[in-house]
Amino acid sequence: MKNVKDRFWEKIGPYLLVAPAMTGIALFVIYPIIKLISMSFYKVNQLNPDKTKFVGFSNYQKMFKTAEFQKALVNTGYYALFMILIVLGCSLILAVWLGSKKSRVNSAAQASAFLPHIISMVSVGLIFQQMMDPDYGIFNALLGAMGLQKSQFLRSSDSAMNSVIFTSAWKSIGYYTLILIAALQSIPESIYEAADLDNAGSVRTFFKITLPMISPQIFFVLIVMTIGNFKVFETIRVMTSGGPNNATTSLVYYIYNKVFMDFDVGRAAAGGVILLIIVGIMTVLYFVSLSKKVHYQ
Amino acid sequence: MYKLSQKVWAVAGTILKAILIFVFVFPFLWMVSVSLQTDMEISSSPITLIPAVPQWINFAAAWSKGPFLLYLKNSLTIIVSVIAMQMVIMVPAAYAFAKCDFKGKNLMFGLVLIAFMTPGQITFLPIYQMMSEWEVMDTLLPQIVPFMTNAFGIFLLRQYFMQVPDELIEAAKLDNAGSLKIVYKLMLPMAKPAMSTVVLFSFVSHWNDYFWPLVMTQTTNVRTLPIGIAMLKNTEGITNWNIIMAGNMILVMPILVVYVFCSKSIIRSFAYSGIK
Amino acid sequence: MAAIEFKNVTKKFGNHVVIENINLKIKDGSFTVLVGPSGCGKTTLLRMIAGIGPQTSGQVLIDGNDVTEIAPGKRGVAMVFQNYAIYPTMNVRDNIEFGLKNNKIPKEERDILVKEASEKVGLEEYLDRKPSTLSGGQRQRVALARAMVKKPSVFLMDEPLSNLDAKLRVQMRVELIELHKKLQTTFVYVTHDQVEAMSMADTVILMNNGFIQQIAAPEEIYRNPANLFTARFIGSPAMNIVELNDGIRLGFRPERGILSDEADPKADFSVEGQVVTREMLGRETTYSVRDPQGRTYMVTGLDDPYKVDDKVYLNVSLKHIYFFGKDEQRIYEEDAQQYQACLEALRRGL
Repeated sequence: MKNVKDRFWEKIGPYLLVAPAMTGIALFVIYPIIKLISMSFYKVNQLNPDKTKFVGFSNYQKMFKTAEFQKALVNTGYYALFMILIVLGCSLILAVWLGSKKSRVNSAAQASAFLPHIISMVSVGLIFQQMMDPDYGIFNALLGAMGLQKSQFLRSSDSAMNSVIFTSAWKSIGYYTLILIAALQSIPESIYEAADLDNAGSVRTFFKITLPMISPQIFFVLIVMTIGNFKVFETIRVMTSGGPNNATTSLVYYIYNKVFMDFDVGRAAAGGVILLIIVGIMTVLYFVSLSKKVHYQ
Repeated sequence: MYKLSQKVWAVAGTILKAILIFVFVFPFLWMVSVSLQTDMEISSSPITLIPAVPQWINFAAAWSKGPFLLYLKNSLTIIVSVIAMQMVIMVPAAYAFAKCDFKGKNLMFGLVLIAFMTPGQITFLPIYQMMSEWEVMDTLLPQIVPFMTNAFGIFLLRQYFMQVPDELIEAAKLDNAGSLKIVYKLMLPMAKPAMSTVVLFSFVSHWNDYFWPLVMTQTTNVRTLPIGIAMLKNTEGITNWNIIMAGNMILVMPILVVYVFCSKSIIRSFAYSGIK
Repeated sequence: MAAIEFKNVTKKFGNHVVIENINLKIKDGSFTVLVGPSGCGKTTLLRMIAGIGPQTSGQVLIDGNDVTEIAPGKRGVAMVFQNYAIYPTMNVRDNIEFGLKNNKIPKEERDILVKEASEKVGLEEYLDRKPSTLSGGQRQRVALARAMVKKPSVFLMDEPLSNLDAKLRVQMRVELIELHKKLQTTFVYVTHDQVEAMSMADTVILMNNGFIQQIAAPEEIYRNPANLFTARFIGSPAMNIVELNDGIRLGFRPERGILSDEADPKADFSVEGQVVTREMLGRETTYSVRDPQGRTYMVTGLDDPYKVDDKVYLNVSLKHIYFFGKDEQRIYEEDAQQYQACLEALRRGL
């Protein structure tokens, strides 16, 4: 009898080990995704669920027509594009600059650049909002001292989005620098020595050896950034609440407003599905490339 | 000549790096400075860099502006419960994915990856409704239970477990150790570095999280510290920056202090998580 | 103490058949060495005994009991792994004790057993050390102690010496033989190294491609190979094999070839050739000799009168010659008809 029990556990064991984890995923990832998609096809009546009715794509059609959503989508795209350009550019430069040699200054610079990443967006948002205060903020004080034109920063719809991007970029550059430095340091020293012996200049070495060698990590960073930037919310919520004049609303901010301000859950779900599609495309891209391996070794 | 120009470059580089450090550290110093300024100083022109007399009273003022002890308690309760639950759930799953053969393994691991990539901004709405239906919105559960499965942790630990030679597990089986014993007595102690990374990540992300508590809380008694601090701005208006910054310090200091003492290992953890 | 028996055992990995319908008995208290080239199935057999890689069909019996359904930890076997499989996070004592704890042996008894085992392998000073601070040889001893402490009825070892340096390996070989003598339990030892097999075993099981080639005592397997594979595998340098007519092959051991300046008329096999290489190994010298047809023979001897390029004659007498048939099986003298055919082929020459 005991022997049969052994065999049974052997077979069933792995399922028991993954069961709690899979329950969590089913309940809090898979089910919500399915539910979200289905909700996006309904006009949801929260107070009287019986009045909830199927409306097909009408949530989407109406949503795409509203200026509010269009603005949110354009803002999100603008935010994502510039975040990626600025952060990827800066972190690559910093990574090459700080990661080439191990020294005390370099690791101190790396450590301080990384610090904002582990600080709450709430805190960072508050600090920058204070510094960007048009009247009493240190930024305008600095601009004034240098004889430059002062800015309204978050108070003006012209500069609000750029101010938000500036803050977010400042917060996240350090993290990506770190990832890229780790990538750079995983390149074996001998390859550089070989390149030296082949008399390759430093620019050539960078583009022909360094960049291709770290391309998988760059790609990883790109995907993570894109997903992260398309779900931008906290910065905006803390710093501008979407204003002034909807200048800084984003996709997630739109969804949030639909749920908690307009109580239009169907519309919110439709917005959520758009985000889902964007994240889905990025994820598929990532895993396809992983399986193909953007590797050069 | 060559040597000289090299020296000049080195000095210039060091100066630039010092500026870089300043750029990233200054806002935090600034926060400290503002938090210690008087009402007059925060709106003075030219601006006050260093307060004449540090206004420690600002902290007391900020602390009294809301039930911060409750927020702190909520934050910590959530973090501790989430991490404890994740440990129990994640380790066996990671082991099974790394070392066991069973039907549907690849499919299930695919689901883990989907969970890893799916942000809360997508799932919050149905989960919110689910929690309302369960009638637990006035408890901390909506901020704990949805995080029971840490997909990132499973992923990371699985990578780690895969490097453990099969021989070791076979030896344990010959020593008559059951699956759970293998997981907790053998695998878990070996996975300490990966575990500490996961714990660190969970701690930082839940301590800092703003979105999830914002959408999952309706009443004061379940709110967390980041919500409380962000709300200071509403209660104080945007004129009393000294009070807001003093409150902000409560949120920043714990992480800042830990970072000052173990920045090296924290940086290593984050770097390790990114390479895969 | 236990005998082991395989009954119609087959093992597949997916569709790949590694072992097909094997029947095998391992004697109680023997030091049996499973030897063969890599991929021959020897480790697979061992893992079936342990239960960590169960058979696809058939039965494995330990002490007459079918253990197919019994978990590895309850079979009363212990195993020493190739890479020792020391639990890295436990100190030496915990490593040795782990199995005892899992079997719910009381603390006092455990202490005695651990002390006993660690003394036997000379580890009593190291009980509180972490494995990472131990040398390769010491880790090997931890693995041994961990196996011993459970007082298993069967001791399984999977190439346990392959990670040690040459000197230590020789020393451990002697220690294992002594250990077997002391414990008097069944040892099943897997190796690809025929020297290890010959020096330690009382029974050698030679395998190839999932089939058992020969089971015999070391001296028997050396002096009386049952087939061409065994003849070639056991012995270094390998047996010289010469193709005669009709698929018949003859073989002789390098030390049985005698080199001379002139053809020996009394020799049953004699060829003319030239010394191609000469390896002076100290005690003995190995020559390789090439005949006009381009065949190369290895010859070892205690004297070394010849130099490279010297012209020599290689002579072997019949009593040192083995014949193998078309099916690569040995043709024995008892099989008069076939043996005559072989002699005939030999007479007709090369």
